Amino acid sequence: MTRRTVPSPPPIPDSEIQDFADMSAALTGFESNVLKPALDPLGLSRIYYEFALAQVGSAMTTLLNAYRAIKTQPAQQIADTLLETSSSSPSTQAQLAQSIVAMWYLGSWYVPGVLGGGGFAPPPLQVISSVAYTNGLVWRVMQSHPMGYSAFTFGYWSQQPGSLSSFGVNTGNGGGQ
Amino acid sequence: MSSTTPQYDVVILGAGVSGNLIAKELGLAGKKVLILEAGLAVPDSREEYMENFYLALAKTPESPYPALAGRQGSKLNPVGELPDPATLPTPRATVLSIGKAPNVSYLVQQEPFNELHKNDPNPQNPPADPKTGDVRGLQFSSTFERNGGGTSWHWLGTSLRELENDIRLETKYGHGRDWPVDYTELQELWGLAEREIGVAASVAQQEPLEVVGLKYPSGYQYPMQAIPMSLVDQAVSGAVAGLQVPGTLPNTPGGSDPTLYDVFVSPTPQGRNSEPYDDRRVCAGNTNCIPICPIQAKWDPTVTLGKALDTGKVTVSYQSVAYNVAVEGKNATRVDYYQWSRDDKGNLTKVSKSVTGKLYVLACHAIENAKLLLLSNNQKGIANSSDQVGRNLMDHPLYLTWALAPQPIFGYRGPLATSGIESLRDGEFRKYRASFRMEIGNEGWNFSKGDPYTTTMDFIQGTNNSNVNPPPGGSGQPIRLGGLKLVQQLNNIFTRQFRIACMFDQSPLADNRVTLDVDKVTGKPNNVDGLGLPRPKVEYGLDPYTMEGFRMAAYVCSKVYERMGATEFTINGVGGAGDFTYQGVNYHYYGAGHVVGTHRMGVDPSSSVVDASQRSHDVQNMWIVGSGSFPTVCTANPTLTLMGLAFKSARSILAALGS
Repeated sequence: MTRRTVPSPPPIPDSEIQDFADMSAALTGFESNVLKPALDPLGLSRIYYEFALAQVGSAMTTLLNAYRAIKTQPAQQIADTLLETSSSSPSTQAQLAQSIVAMWYLGSWYVPGVLGGGGFAPPPLQVISSVAYTNGLVWRVMQSHPMGYSAFTFGYWSQQPGSLSSFGVNTGNGGGQ
Repeated sequence: MSSTTPQYDVVILGAGVSGNLIAKELGLAGKKVLILEAGLAVPDSREEYMENFYLALAKTPESPYPALAGRQGSKLNPVGELPDPATLPTPRATVLSIGKAPNVSYLVQQEPFNELHKNDPNPQNPPADPKTGDVRGLQFSSTFERNGGGTSWHWLGTSLRELENDIRLETKYGHGRDWPVDYTELQELWGLAEREIGVAASVAQQEPLEVVGLKYPSGYQYPMQAIPMSLVDQAVSGAVAGLQVPGTLPNTPGGSDPTLYDVFVSPTPQGRNSEPYDDRRVCAGNTNCIPICPIQAKWDPTVTLGKALDTGKVTVSYQSVAYNVAVEGKNATRVDYYQWSRDDKGNLTKVSKSVTGKLYVLACHAIENAKLLLLSNNQKGIANSSDQVGRNLMDHPLYLTWALAPQPIFGYRGPLATSGIESLRDGEFRKYRASFRMEIGNEGWNFSKGDPYTTTMDFIQGTNNSNVNPPPGGSGQPIRLGGLKLVQQLNNIFTRQFRIACMFDQSPLADNRVTLDVDKVTGKPNNVDGLGLPRPKVEYGLDPYTMEGFRMAAYVCSKVYERMGATEFTINGVGGAGDFTYQGVNYHYYGAGHVVGTHRMGVDPSSSVVDASQRSHDVQNMWIVGSGSFPTVCTANPTLTLMGLAFKSARSILAALGS
């Protein structure tokens, strides 16, 4: 008896995932080794890249190529260029870059170009996963933990939090540890 | 009386705070108890509820419960749309359905004013009645759960005691209605409830509140050490030192109280573990008490349900919705209920069943108790010779204000609230306006603005829904940021956000009311649930006494923010659910989930539904329990007191069984 198998597509090469993580680092203000650590139990950079590809297809590849063309520039300059922060009407590619930032910060997919209103953020299309939620960068930025997922112990709230750098942010002041 | 022997000593409807506590007390005394719970069973582990929460697009109080609907990607609701209550066996009131039509909102309510006046070029809030000053046609905004464990899965844990003048409001200040319970007895009952819950607090820290009449029996000790104050609490506490406010503002209707009252912050007694207690863990400050504590460091009713089941005398029948309590003469004789099930495709089936007990306890929730009482006896109602069933519906209407501190105070850290301003809860001003407590939040602008989402998306997308990203120079577009600039800007905003929630001792009004949503002539249901039962219709409004409380609260908040050097960002809308206007100023109220008053207790059977033991005046073998029995909503969050009253009911039930 023979069984025909459909070959699965080859996995996206690690080098492409690394480029996505490096671009994401510039866009989000975090270090690449925070988003994609050498020992990576979560694999969020691959999950996010594949999620974005499934949502927008070749537009994702085009954005990544735009990053590759300027990857040697300083991180803030890369972010400002790809997000077109000085433009009054960001292109659809810059809106996709916004969604990548939102994905890392909030663990959810926000459809590019859909804005909030009435005093609130736009509803996300999807929370990507519970792991994505609990690993949102926004919780680090506020020097805390995800609401509903504390890694701290009793009474921590009565004490000053650690510095931003202890939450994985290199503030560029030489204070990173 | 029925000639056959009842199947149970006591049949309890509802597996929430009161039902579980009474079941436990009766089980310990060797009585045979059945609990009929309308909704789903308590899950073996809360992981599924946590997953619902993590994946919910909006982290509302209802978001983890139950998995039947609302979670995107769940088997029965792949798209996560708000379900039609007519398709659900136990629909519930939800935050996402407030102000919506009955195809989304379980509670049938008046449309919000802006919906009724869609074409009005100048949207307004509902006008006040020229005679009474009352604003009617408002939305009741509190929500509740209908599953094993009940709404207190997502209580905050605040375990304050009422003040003596809270329960003597009518005698002392000529407003509202006295409670028929002795304050000394309540002190003993609170002690029992504090041990059941495991309340963390220190009597010494509460002593300054003697100025509002808070007193403990000599030598009283809470079961465990107090929860530390958060950095936000400490910042507010330091800033308000020496602040005094008058009892009333100029132009308060009815009179004035120029006395100056001290404003100070007190640590809140909380039902969460500061030490290992009852085989549960110590609070790790998950900042998620509402919607769900991930580690059950906060007590919830399933803890007490477990103890009830451990007695070996208590049985729970889930997915069992009572629709009739049969009464003969002065006795309840039978409960009729639907046992429902639902297959993978969502198809609902129901089987009609009956059960008998010597005694009956209705512990379904203030709104559901009223619904069942009105629905029974072919919609002629039971236990309602006073005509008070469903009336005097109250909440703690909640006035929310929010601000940015001048320096980081690190909200979003700790339990959702660890302190409050309790020092303004009593005074002569209660003759003229509603008293209130002020809860300090440890969750930034999560409640206020849906943060961290709103502010984060504002700086990514260049919008200003949070109001902290106005266009530079006042015109043009809000800024957009990325990279380290985004990190620093968000850090700057989020570490300075905080809020204060003020909760009012709302007046009991006969017209604030739960009725059945049925045709007045034919009695046929208008809107039904998935079992074909009529849904609760709710009418709601505010009187000037309550609204004057809002005016004072807004004033006190502004003084607190001024002392801190904080910038206030509070917004009060126009025309939407929760919006109203008082003395020319717009306000917005939220629901606190503190639903009370619908079967109020009293000495006089002609003006109350139950006695001080929560026993029906009319049906002598039936107790109607929970916060629905509160004659007034008072100034403390209700859970501790409603559990105390459940202890009292359990005693009177045992006495009745013994006789």
